[in-house]
Amino acid sequence: MHHGSIGKDTRLWVEQAIRNESLLAVVATSSLDLGVDFAPVETVIQIGGPKGVAKFLQRAGRSNHRPGEPSVIYFLPTHALELLEASALKRAVKEEVVEDRMPYLLSFDVLIQYLVSLAVGNGFFPKDIFPEIKSTFCFQGITEEQWNWCLNFITLGSQSLKAYDEYKKVEVTPEGLFKVESRQIAMMHRLSIGTIVSDSMMLVKYVTGGFIGTIEEWFISKLKIGDSFVFAGRTLELVRLRQMQAQVRKSTKKSGKVASFLGGRLPLSSQMSKILREEMQSEADHKRNTPELKALSDIFDRQERESIVPGENEFLIETFKTRDGYHSLFYPFEGRFVHEAMSSLLAYRISLLSPISFSLAYNDYGFELLSDQFLDIQTVLDNNLFSAEYLYQDLQKSLNYTELARRKFRDIAVISGMVFQGYPNKIIKTKHLQSNSQLLFDVFRDYEPDNLLYLQAYRETFEHQLEEGRLRQALERINSQKIIWKQCEKATPFSFPIITDGLRAKLSSEKLADRIKKMTLLLEK
Amino acid sequence: MIQNITIKNNEFKLHPSGAIFWESKKMLLIADVHLGKVSHFRKHGAPVPANAAFQNLEKLTEISNYFQPETICFLGDLFHSKLNEEWQDFEKWVEYTKAEVILISGNHDIIPKYLYEDLGVKVFDELLLEGFHLTHHPSEIKGTFNFSGHIHPGVRMRGVGRQYLRFACFYKSENQLILPAFGNFTGKHILKPSELDEVFAIVEGEVICVSKKNS
Repeated sequence: MHHGSIGKDTRLWVEQAIRNESLLAVVATSSLDLGVDFAPVETVIQIGGPKGVAKFLQRAGRSNHRPGEPSVIYFLPTHALELLEASALKRAVKEEVVEDRMPYLLSFDVLIQYLVSLAVGNGFFPKDIFPEIKSTFCFQGITEEQWNWCLNFITLGSQSLKAYDEYKKVEVTPEGLFKVESRQIAMMHRLSIGTIVSDSMMLVKYVTGGFIGTIEEWFISKLKIGDSFVFAGRTLELVRLRQMQAQVRKSTKKSGKVASFLGGRLPLSSQMSKILREEMQSEADHKRNTPELKALSDIFDRQERESIVPGENEFLIETFKTRDGYHSLFYPFEGRFVHEAMSSLLAYRISLLSPISFSLAYNDYGFELLSDQFLDIQTVLDNNLFSAEYLYQDLQKSLNYTELARRKFRDIAVISGMVFQGYPNKIIKTKHLQSNSQLLFDVFRDYEPDNLLYLQAYRETFEHQLEEGRLRQALERINSQKIIWKQCEKATPFSFPIITDGLRAKLSSEKLADRIKKMTLLLEK
Repeated sequence: MIQNITIKNNEFKLHPSGAIFWESKKMLLIADVHLGKVSHFRKHGAPVPANAAFQNLEKLTEISNYFQPETICFLGDLFHSKLNEEWQDFEKWVEYTKAEVILISGNHDIIPKYLYEDLGVKVFDELLLEGFHLTHHPSEIKGTFNFSGHIHPGVRMRGVGRQYLRFACFYKSENQLILPAFGNFTGKHILKPSELDEVFAIVEGEVICVSKKNS
């Protein structure tokens, strides 16, 4: 087993064992995708949807890694609808469709980290570095003003200042050299270098000692003491939580919840989505001309019985009621990110018509608006709520946008060095310096809303997270499609993976006090 | 916007800032202000907006102007860490305020006691006043009612459609009331109340009782 969260010793051992062929098979995450060459690998098996053609090809290329040799890859779907992805992948590879990469422009968090890194080294003179920055593709558009803001940020902490402020990070020598003098600040910076931010991590250790690996806090927080979970190839029982440590022992149970990582939730690429919709069309036509589509026939028959399988020029909306509330499901087949944006956009626009609260869920195939009130889809259609007009304004106003920006800000806060994530493998963080990006986000919103890093959170959310361009195209497509509203008796095969999704966002136009009256306090069980 | 509650025949006002006003004693109870936290972060290279630091004292001034208390009692963690520039602002505030200022020392209060006493601020580990026990850490003495801080209590609420919201709150059980953190750069610790607890959530400038039990 190989993934980024197991101990380094184990990882290196596994890599060596692949090279000397002492292991027959290795289960890995994307940790083995890039940079490591293992000549002896004969076959790759992709488990679950790779979400993109490029990623799939990259993985395939890990096998028979020699010039001129054909690579071998198998695809093992983890749920029925992924068979559709398998079918789509085959076509994509045949037609040589590969995704573009969208560059991140003017990411000030990365620039600030770079500048502080220079200052931790020999120091730098701004006049030497500015041309270098300006010559990069991603910062070609940086203005003098923005550049000065960054310099001020690392030396003074922000723009407006009180005379006796004690802010300390990068200092300017009389010669004008920007340099970090404090050893503590230099060390904290060195420990934080990098631009891949993971969720806050907990150490997983045996009660008796041994270190097993690290795991995202949100996963552990969902477990109760005594629960068993599968991690690093072992079934473990959670014994106790102590600060940032999860203490475990080997479980006698055969199975448990499998540890998962938020980083694993990638969206379907736009190229994949398009091919997927075409595959769906051939399903709707009952062609079932690939083995994958044939294997899916039971599910599609069921979907057709409860609702329909939408064709290429059809847009499916399903509504039904369960004890959770009124479900409205929409299926644009555009990938998780676009669905996230579209769901909050739609929810916001509906909420303008009358006070209502929604909880939103989405996957790569569609999204759900769940409410305690009945939602009449006809009003949605009559009011032209899928319009691409006022997209930017409406997205900005939807509450969800702030929540997304808040999440994005977490990475920005860590990369720019505003949040120190602690010393490696140490439970105690620097005394009295614990905070989190959530708290910081609120403080910036209230006291420094023009901070470039705070604004960057919104910009990157819009351009990358919400994939504005793709969202616009998707809305235009929906507007040209025939809309089919099915009022169903119960959850359909398409809806099931969405309505059971645990990660949800909210949107509301009801007054907070009114919402609270309808809510119940979460009591101890 | 204010909630009035009665405990052992004494009237208390729960204010949306997180403070409690004890009517008969004309005493304001305030927990976990964490002054100096913003400056402490800035000093260590974390550029938290400097303006946030001044807001806490402004909020303190506003609330003491509103209630005109005779005594202001801080239930610990008044200062977040070591002495820094925010102390000077605090000095000015103490000088300005007409009320007597008391500090019940908390785990974060590492600034030497004599510095407070030089300003005329009395420092105690705990205080017992007419059957009311004032502490930083929640505690229990038989026959007394305890006011404390330390926890930064918050609650999570669930609505239909799987909506969740979190709020800071006043958390009252049979013989105890835990105050929310007053400071603006402080987090929340989510508690799970039992049926017998009373929870007063702070929602957009209002204090709202959200528990079934309501005195």
